[in-house]
Amino acid sequence: MSVSTMVPIVTVPEVATIVDIRDEIAEVKTFYFVFDNPEIERSFRVRSGQFIMCTVFGAGEFAVSLPFSPENDRRHISVRKVGKVTAALHELQPGDKIGIRGPFGNGFPFEEIKGQNIIYVAGGIGLIPLRSSIVHVLQHRSEFGRVILVYGARSSRDLMYKESIQEWKATENFETYFTIDRPEPGWSGEVGFVNQLVARLELPVEKTVAFVCGPPVMFNSVIKELKAKGIKEQNIYSTLERHMKCGIGKCQHCAIGRTLVCVDGPVYTYKQIKTLGEQI
Amino acid sequence: MYFLEKAKLPQLFELLKRDYEIYGPVQDEVSGEVIFDRVPESSGFDLEAPIPYNPPKFVLFPHFEEILKYRYERQTKRVAIERINLLQPKVLLGLRSCDLTGILCLDRFFLGQEFVDEVYLEHRKKLFIISNTCVRPFPQCFCVCTDSGPSAREGFDLNLTYTGPGYLVEVGSKKGQKLVEEMILPEAGLEASRLKKRIIDDSVLSFDRVALENKAWISRATNRLTTGFVRPEVWEYIGHQCFECGACAFVCPTCSCFNIEDVNFRTGDTYRVRTWDSCSFEGYTKMAGDHNPRKPVEDRRNKRFFCKLSYSQSKKYLRPGCVGCGRCARVCPGDIGLPNVVTYIRREITGD
Amino acid sequence: MSYYRGICNFCGTGCGHLLRVEDNRVRGVYPLPGHPLSRGRLCVRGWHIHELLQTEDRIITCRIKEKNSWKEVKLEEAIGYLAEKLSKYSGWEVGFLGSPRSSNEDNYLFGKFARAVMKSNLLSLTSDAGQEESTLVLLEGTGWPAALGSLERLRQADYILVVGGDLTKQNPIVASEIHYAARAGARLVTISPRETQMARLSRLHLRPRLGTTRLLLQALSRMLLDEGLIEEDYLRNHTKNHGDFLAAIAAVEPEQIEVATGIELRVLREEARRLSEARSAYAFYPTGIQSLDRNTIAAIFNLFLLAGKVGKPGCGINPVTGISNLLGSYDMGLSPLLLPGYSPLSDEASLQRLEKLWGCRLNMEPGKSVSESLAQNTRMQALLVVDHDEEIIRNLKKIENLELVVYFGAYENPFARLADVVFPLTTYAEADGTYTNSERRVQLNEKKVEPSGEAQPLWQIMTLLAGAMGHRWNYSSAAEVMAEISQVVPQYSGITYDKLRIRPGLKWPCDQDHPEGTDCLLIDELSRPLKFVLESEPAQTREVLRAEEGYPFKLVVGRSNYFWHQNSIMKKTFIPRREYNALLLLYPGGFVEISSEDARKLNLREKQSVRILATNAELRLAVRISDDVCPGMLYVPYFVEEMIPEFLHRQVSDLEKNEEFYLPVRLEKVE
Repeated sequence: MSVSTMVPIVTVPEVATIVDIRDEIAEVKTFYFVFDNPEIERSFRVRSGQFIMCTVFGAGEFAVSLPFSPENDRRHISVRKVGKVTAALHELQPGDKIGIRGPFGNGFPFEEIKGQNIIYVAGGIGLIPLRSSIVHVLQHRSEFGRVILVYGARSSRDLMYKESIQEWKATENFETYFTIDRPEPGWSGEVGFVNQLVARLELPVEKTVAFVCGPPVMFNSVIKELKAKGIKEQNIYSTLERHMKCGIGKCQHCAIGRTLVCVDGPVYTYKQIKTLGEQI
Repeated sequence: MYFLEKAKLPQLFELLKRDYEIYGPVQDEVSGEVIFDRVPESSGFDLEAPIPYNPPKFVLFPHFEEILKYRYERQTKRVAIERINLLQPKVLLGLRSCDLTGILCLDRFFLGQEFVDEVYLEHRKKLFIISNTCVRPFPQCFCVCTDSGPSAREGFDLNLTYTGPGYLVEVGSKKGQKLVEEMILPEAGLEASRLKKRIIDDSVLSFDRVALENKAWISRATNRLTTGFVRPEVWEYIGHQCFECGACAFVCPTCSCFNIEDVNFRTGDTYRVRTWDSCSFEGYTKMAGDHNPRKPVEDRRNKRFFCKLSYSQSKKYLRPGCVGCGRCARVCPGDIGLPNVVTYIRREITGD
Repeated sequence: MSYYRGICNFCGTGCGHLLRVEDNRVRGVYPLPGHPLSRGRLCVRGWHIHELLQTEDRIITCRIKEKNSWKEVKLEEAIGYLAEKLSKYSGWEVGFLGSPRSSNEDNYLFGKFARAVMKSNLLSLTSDAGQEESTLVLLEGTGWPAALGSLERLRQADYILVVGGDLTKQNPIVASEIHYAARAGARLVTISPRETQMARLSRLHLRPRLGTTRLLLQALSRMLLDEGLIEEDYLRNHTKNHGDFLAAIAAVEPEQIEVATGIELRVLREEARRLSEARSAYAFYPTGIQSLDRNTIAAIFNLFLLAGKVGKPGCGINPVTGISNLLGSYDMGLSPLLLPGYSPLSDEASLQRLEKLWGCRLNMEPGKSVSESLAQNTRMQALLVVDHDEEIIRNLKKIENLELVVYFGAYENPFARLADVVFPLTTYAEADGTYTNSERRVQLNEKKVEPSGEAQPLWQIMTLLAGAMGHRWNYSSAAEVMAEISQVVPQYSGITYDKLRIRPGLKWPCDQDHPEGTDCLLIDELSRPLKFVLESEPAQTREVLRAEEGYPFKLVVGRSNYFWHQNSIMKKTFIPRREYNALLLLYPGGFVEISSEDARKLNLREKQSVRILATNAELRLAVRISDDVCPGMLYVPYFVEEMIPEFLHRQVSDLEKNEEFYLPVRLEKVE
């Protein structure tokens, strides 16, 4: 566990302006933002896999993972409308203000996995937290081995970050596989569930880490396939979600067994997840 | 160690009143029940009143507290945010050692982990603690099982021990020393430490005779809870009796879970409010969308006792999470306070 | 000091609590140790009452509707405006819908205004399911209209019978006392077709088929007779019509009841024996939020009377009121048939006594409840409503068509939108008031904070309104209103605020003979013999068996937990709202509970969409598999309006008065 390289904003949110909003998939929008305070705008650094607590003024605060790379990437969050606060967020327009606390959490390993192969496996909106790591690794491509992405969603309409996907398909040295549950006219990629695709592929096993993110059913079935291929449990990472209120390890809403997801996580190895002592 | 004559208590009170709001045990004339509350006058204030029904944590960690205020004007896009910090210095006068241990746990939790909770820190900085040794236990007590009494060893500014003619006074901090000097208290003499030890020993010995409501085999239970070797049937049995009221967490001196809500006021300001919450509730872990990882009530009971007693949790407090005050047993509608739960676990181990 | 003692104002338990007050705001709550009933406990609602009391969602000014928009006015202007409007109506033209959460003082003057000023007997309460039936049964049986026993002595009970309801959700602390009594050795028996937490905590859970609880109770009475467990002396000396009752019981066919209920006679025989052997025995049933029907309540009463458990110390039949002052409201006469103090309106002598005390003529015509008046076509043109907490508004169209609707409330509420004039009320922490809990305990709740805005206690507004209409009432404090109540309501004759201030309430009757109140009904103190309450129609064992052709399921509607979900004031809290929503948000379109056996037979999955069809309507809901219901039974939570369309509204009065009311339905999958 390690904290980000900057001192996080702990109690009083920093004000940021929404500069652009993009519709992604049904009920999901991406909000691009810039901090009002130039000092903060300059010094705000994150690690892939971290999250922030975002205040929608007048509605409340919610935890959201950061999908942008620590370097050279527009700051944004991608949020699904699913409750009172996120519904209020979806009503906002460019120019409106939000509050940011953080960044919090431990993040995906980056330095530690240099030289290794990386397999990213994502399902549906599970691509959001992984995007940060993917972009960052691609920005330092030569420092890693094979980089593979397996991404699936229910239908082509449910695939996140379609523009990025087009870029990634065309990127050399980035092995990408996309799948949807059922065949569709006009879809030339794979068909079937993500775990089935993982089972079919030839994947590296030695000096390899896997980052897996998606709904619980997909998660469990993918882990099974990866383990079957010989990838060790301590090399499989995921990011856990929990109801959070404070983000700093005090309110205890995010506790699982003996760990607090907001400070010890949200990134855990599968080996750790198995011994947490409670269901995820 | 110093000595404070009983007759000098009002003087102590007045001295404290000058700089602090005073909180201490307040006894109701009609019912005889004791509440830890603001004490307006020194008359009628009795340091030897029985253990208060409520823990003093509300002074440091209020039931309902505004922590931030903000105002967002959508037309002009202007935002104003400020911390709320109107805190008076407070003194906890006559704090029992179990409750003081509770505060130490809260200190270690709020101030000593990855982040410092700034809200709690403000309260804590303005707090002066004068604890009071329990020269006798009360029927609900079991602090001897949780190593949190009957006398405090650390964390106080001053610690009092009643001897009859007055109080032995130990100093625990610079603030405490200053007060002792201001009152010009005499030294207690060579016999003082031995006298104090005797008083504490007598108190411990009377537990068997007086503290009859709760006996808890904490160490055995801690073992089982840590390793997870309590059968699900036991938790189901306990879960059936849970009324899901949250009381156990609210009355516990070491429980500190909270909820945050933004409340819009008619004036146009929004206040961010922090309120007590409890892991007993089903909605506590429910995420927006469907998933609730701790839905069945028996899982929540399991979690709470794990939190209070297992070894790994004690890392965060550097001691067991239970201070033996007995309040959860008194306040539980389902009669499954910590001592009873420990008894069920013990029965499962010993088979009787 | 910062903690002040008070009484929780949610359910009819009336737990003692301490409210933390700082800067004129209620900032916290803690249970009151030493309270004789709650003994230092609170339920999830009671622990969060400070969240409600802090809410900004209050009505704090008077307002008058002018052409679809609201005009804020001062109290004086609103009073004058209303007085002028009301002067056009009288008697049957004005209805009064009171709140079972208002204080005794509030309800007393609300009732006095209705009867004395407006000469109307169209007077009733929201959320009072079964209270009238229970009152009438107990009055007929004993002359006492309410709880016969005391809850303080519950832990010494030998036998406790809980019929219907879901007490751990409706009145948690009463349920807690019952639970403690069971752990102390009492035999706890629950009769309920559905599995509830109280059932799980019971030694024995009897699950008769839906609609047969009454038969079950009759069978128990019959077992007492067959096993020779009846005390002849007791019956001869203290009861009037035991001959008639014994004849009715002898005519019952036990074997048929066994088949109808599904409960073996062997079990009932054993229970009858245990009940008769018990020295101290209690029966509980719910009122207010949901209730049993009159005949089932009568059957409970008759059983206990036959077993010799009425009028003895340590015995009691206790209706458990679901709302804080439901019992007090009836004490104050907020009922179309009963005057303050429970004399029937039809009794001339009582009416004349009241006329004398109030100094005016009163209307003798028997009244109707407001919901009856709205359901039928009557002359009612104006309606005054207080604190309508239930968010589901019945007879909405009819209310919208009334000429004048007046709303009195402390909290913003959907009903307020229907009103022409709105008055702001104080919360119970902003005014003195007394509240009477399930066990007849009148408790004083003193003012703790200054009222917000122009909020006034209801009794004060009624006084001003009466004055504006030519009736000079002289009350300058709630204590003075109580002084008058003590003259009018015989059960309250010994109650004063001075006495209440230094006691945890006084249980009525509190009069010259009982200056410290009365614990329980005792035979020696009765002025008339006890009486069996014969059932108004004989039970049909055969018809109950026959499921309607083509409609094999019985659809029951649940209220206890879900009443609080659709309760307007609960929505103004944080944590209770979160908790009550926790289950319901999992099924945003609504759910129907079905047993796992039936789900398996019909091949149904959790959350699968199904259609429920009755003879004249249909519902579309998601499946929730739960063994709280028996095979053959379906359960739907009532109070979630988004889930239930009009059709259940038509049967609402039936389902309120009888929680076993069911609709025969069938279930179809939706593809």
